[in-house]
Amino acid sequence: MDIGQDIIEATTDIFSTMLMMDLDVGDPLEGADGDVLSNITSMLGLGGDIRGMLAVHCPAAVAMAITGGFLGMDVDELNEDVKDAIGEIANMVAGNLKVAFAGYDMKIELAIPSSVVGESFRVAGMLGARRVAVPFAMEGGQFLVELKYIVNS
Amino acid sequence: MGHNVLLVDDSSTMRKIVGRSLRQAGLDFDNIFEAADGLLALEVLEKESVDIVLSDINMPNMDGISFLREKANRANMKDIPVFMISTETGEDIIGEAKALGAKGAIKKPFTPDMVNEILGPFLT
Repeated sequence: MDIGQDIIEATTDIFSTMLMMDLDVGDPLEGADGDVLSNITSMLGLGGDIRGMLAVHCPAAVAMAITGGFLGMDVDELNEDVKDAIGEIANMVAGNLKVAFAGYDMKIELAIPSSVVGESFRVAGMLGARRVAVPFAMEGGQFLVELKYIVNS
Repeated sequence: MGHNVLLVDDSSTMRKIVGRSLRQAGLDFDNIFEAADGLLALEVLEKESVDIVLSDINMPNMDGISFLREKANRANMKDIPVFMISTETGEDIIGEAKALGAKGAIKKPFTPDMVNEILGPFLT
C-alpha cells in the first residue's frame, strides 16, 4: 500500500480534470499529528474495512481560488460557497481513495463532508491511527490533504 | 426544442458545475431545475416537466438510491430517465442504481466532454 501516492493521484486527478490546474506536490508526511495552518477544513468520515477520516485543510486564499475556479467567478470571502466547494474536494478525493482501497481488496464507505472555518486545526483522537498527509501548492499558497485511518481487524 | 433537466446534489457548487458542464458540452436544455436531496427532487418532479435527471448518490435526508426506489413507485415519474453523477462508482452501488432504473453513471471528477459522451446519445 502506498497511501501517500494514492492521495497524490486522487487529488491531482481532480484538479487537472475539473480545474485544469497542475499542482506542485510535496513529499507525503507520515506520523504524529501537528497543528495545521488553515482557515477552512473540510472532512468526512470513512467506514467499512477501515475507520478514519479524510480532511482537506486550506488557507483562505487557496480555498477562495479553488472555489472561484469551480464557479468561474471571483470569490473574496469564506462564504457558504467556499465551504461547499472544499467539501466537494474532500468528497471527490475520498471517492478516488475508495477506488484505490478497492485495489487493496478493502471496501470503504464514505460519509457526507462537513466544513469548519477557523484559524488553526488539529484533528485529535483515533489512538493508533496511521496518519498520512500530503502538501500541495498552487497559486495562492499551500493546502494539505490528510488521511487518518485504522484498518479494522 | 430543448429538454428540461433536474440536477440533484447536496452541494450547490456541484450543481453549478454540472449545469455549466452541460452548457459547455453544447447540450440543449430549456430549463435546469435543482434539488439538494432526493426528497426535494421528488417534489420538483411532481410539479415540473422534466426530461432527464442527474443525481448524486451520497446525500442527506434521501440519498440517490432511495430516490430511485421511491421514484420507481410513482407512476407519473417512473419513466423519467436518471443518470447518477457521483464519486461512488463501485459496481455494487452502480449496479443497484441500474437495477432501480438508472440509465448510466458519470464519475466525479468529470469534464464537459465526459458528460456529453454519456448524455449526448440519449438526448439526440
